[in-house]
Amino acid sequence: MIWNSNEEKLGPGEERTRQRQRRQVLFIGLAGVIGGVIGGATGFFDQGDGNLFAGGWENLKLPPVLALVLAVMLIGAFVALPLWGFRMVDDYKREQNFIGFTGGCVSVLAGYPVWAVLYAGGFVPPPHAFGIFGIAYVSMILSFLYARWRL
Amino acid sequence: MKNRLKVLRAERDWSQAELAGRLDVSRQAVNAIETGKHDPSLPLAFRIARLFDMRIEDIFDDGDPA
Repeated sequence: MIWNSNEEKLGPGEERTRQRQRRQVLFIGLAGVIGGVIGGATGFFDQGDGNLFAGGWENLKLPPVLALVLAVMLIGAFVALPLWGFRMVDDYKREQNFIGFTGGCVSVLAGYPVWAVLYAGGFVPPPHAFGIFGIAYVSMILSFLYARWRL
Repeated sequence: MKNRLKVLRAERDWSQAELAGRLDVSRQAVNAIETGKHDPSLPLAFRIARLFDMRIEDIFDDGDPA
């Protein structure tokens, strides 16, 4: 088979690189599945009138057991999975990830008070949790992309 | 920091992926080190030196004449 003949030509280092790439794909796939389950379950079982993205998120209502399950999954997705990922990657990629996380953290530290004073000045609506989360998430992705471009 | 990684790899006819696997790092890390965009950690520098059976200072040059 073509697949097998290609595999035979690989050196020991290239084979290990392939394994690393396969682990990376599995990691991304697992993260995607967890994200899909959380998003799908939230949308399917939501009993309230709120919308996480369009506003009124304080009116979101989920069955208590499902809420607990999703909370555990979110901790897995946003805490356990990244920490596990940090252990798998090498120094170079870890540095890129650190820059990404630092960008997200710094944007929240600066973003919340800036948003608050702009609200006090009558320029913007009051700060809210999902907005802060959005700032952190977008900043983290932008910082990570900047690190990948520059490093 | 300048280094001779690309030359040493070419002398052995290794691809970046081959070297990356032997060092247990990503291919992107090898590319970043070769192009001088990333300096390896001390443990990785030791692994590189051992792989090529050389001293670290024979592979990496920080530009300091002293």
